[in-house]
Amino acid sequence: MASVTLNQIGKAYGAVTAVEQFDLEIADGEFLVLLGPSGCGKSTTLRMIAGLESITHGDLMIGGKRVNDIDPKDRGVAMVFQNYALYPHKSVFDNMAMALKLQKMPKAEIAERVNGVADMLGLTPYLERKPAALSGGQRQRVAIGRAIVRTPEVFLFDEPLSNLDAKLRVKMRMELQELHGRMGVTSIYVTHDQVEAMTLADRIVILNGGKVAQIGTPREVYDHPATEFVAGFIGSPAMNFMSGRRTGDHWQIIDSDLVLHATERLQSTDPALTLGVRPEHLEVFAPEDAPEGPWVFDAKVKLAELLGADALLNLSVMGQPMLARVGGTDFPLAGQSVRVRIDPARLHAFHPKTGLSIHSEAKQ
Amino acid sequence: MNQKPRFGLYALVTLSVVISFFPIVWLILTSFKNTAGIYAWPPQYWPDPFTLENYISIFTNSPELLRYILNSFIVGVGTTAITLLLGGLSAYALSRLGMRFAGVLMVGILAVSMFPPVSLLPSLFQNFLNFGLLNTYTGLILAHAGLFLPFTVWMLASYFATLPVEIEEAARMDGMGFLRIFLTIVLPLSWPGFVATGLIVFIFSWNEFPLALVLMTQNAMRTAPVGISLYPGEYAFPWETISTATVLAIIPVLVITAIFQKQIVGGLTAGAGK
Repeated sequence: MASVTLNQIGKAYGAVTAVEQFDLEIADGEFLVLLGPSGCGKSTTLRMIAGLESITHGDLMIGGKRVNDIDPKDRGVAMVFQNYALYPHKSVFDNMAMALKLQKMPKAEIAERVNGVADMLGLTPYLERKPAALSGGQRQRVAIGRAIVRTPEVFLFDEPLSNLDAKLRVKMRMELQELHGRMGVTSIYVTHDQVEAMTLADRIVILNGGKVAQIGTPREVYDHPATEFVAGFIGSPAMNFMSGRRTGDHWQIIDSDLVLHATERLQSTDPALTLGVRPEHLEVFAPEDAPEGPWVFDAKVKLAELLGADALLNLSVMGQPMLARVGGTDFPLAGQSVRVRIDPARLHAFHPKTGLSIHSEAKQ
Repeated sequence: MNQKPRFGLYALVTLSVVISFFPIVWLILTSFKNTAGIYAWPPQYWPDPFTLENYISIFTNSPELLRYILNSFIVGVGTTAITLLLGGLSAYALSRLGMRFAGVLMVGILAVSMFPPVSLLPSLFQNFLNFGLLNTYTGLILAHAGLFLPFTVWMLASYFATLPVEIEEAARMDGMGFLRIFLTIVLPLSWPGFVATGLIVFIFSWNEFPLALVLMTQNAMRTAPVGISLYPGEYAFPWETISTATVLAIIPVLVITAIFQKQIVGGLTAGAGK
């Protein structure tokens, strides 16, 4: 097992920057998730760590050793690919044994290791089969087995669950979690799926346009998004954003009649700002049950969607469109008038130009 | 789709089948006719009398035909082996090693193959003469390999492009070098592509005329198309001998095609679906 250090790591293709230089320290045994939309540089970063992509800037250290110019096989890393990347003409056993055979390990030892891992992953009945005769989940398990057999110091996962159907994805996600708990090997996991990121990660690195937007625990990135991008990317459905302007001690929301009290917590020098509140942090009341207070507003339900346990309400809060997430029983229907309470403690504010959280700016 | 028989389509198919098969059928029928039957007027469609005499006489009177066919076979196999080996390696390098000018090189390779081979003949002849390569298998194999390599590189490069690159990356992570990946992973996976390309190259080489005519001047070294074309004497045109020899020269190609037919279809439709 080993720690991984990215020291000013960057990747450029000619004049095009794919990954802007960044620093990252991944602790021994940590489960780190690289999260972001497609084209954000997360796969490129993983492939640089794997050694499949050359590193333009900076130093990559694995276990304290600089590995920039070391072959993939000698880095002590093993990778699981999105499309499994099994050898189609070789049996499951040979797929898993390949790396060990290339290391010239004695046959008996190879068999012992492969059989052990196959047993752990429930692959023993399939060892003689070709990958084509396996289901998607089994194939991905073989790919994971192929990585485990090598007893690497670092596991690299490149969207390993993206090709599986929704039900299987949840099952494999839990298996991965359990596996990491049992083996405790440093893991770097690339995904665009925030649920995978939130559930698996010790820490999440959110990338956008080749730049790091935020590094933090799942709770940190959800509770204290550092940028407007992170705020909109983490959480489903996405955060409600509104453009506001401060006049005196009020925020006037642009293109609506909504006026909020400017809270002490979110003071900034620039009068223009973007406010954000998550759909799950809006409370919706029938007009007669609504509490009184400065943070309670008139609203109209434009559309109500039942999701099962929850319902989504498309609201117009004093002319400002907002999405609210409420309990799935006894929720107001389209056309009804309601009162909405915004939790001021759950309000986020961002600079409209830089997208940086006003909170994080205050900290700096 | 199939509620209405589409007569236009069927007519077109029938027409193209008739047009492409007529010469071959005529050739085969001619090989079973005697001289009178060949020159009969109005033309004789079914051989009358039907005779195997031509086949018997060709083996007794011109046994060199077998030598021609053997020569063609040796040159074809040699050419195919060399083009697949060199073409496979260069196509793999061009499509996978991420070289900066791979695209330019591919176009360059295509451009080179645009020269009409006949225009190369004088200089080729002179050089082959100097190097003592005239009337050698090595010489004609080299000439054919040069001629068909661009085609091979393009065919195989487009086949490699259909293979998922992650398999090769996984092999790299497992600890294989490029040559090993090529031999143990890429080669088995692109086998149909190699068979299809190799077969086409073999047929090209088998049929190639101008280079074979000029570079193989001794009778014993001639290839089948050249040898057969030289049968006509000064005053006679022995149709029965020519047609019989041609039928015999087609047979090896047909046999090989039949053996590898499954792979050709696989090779030509590769990448159409998983």
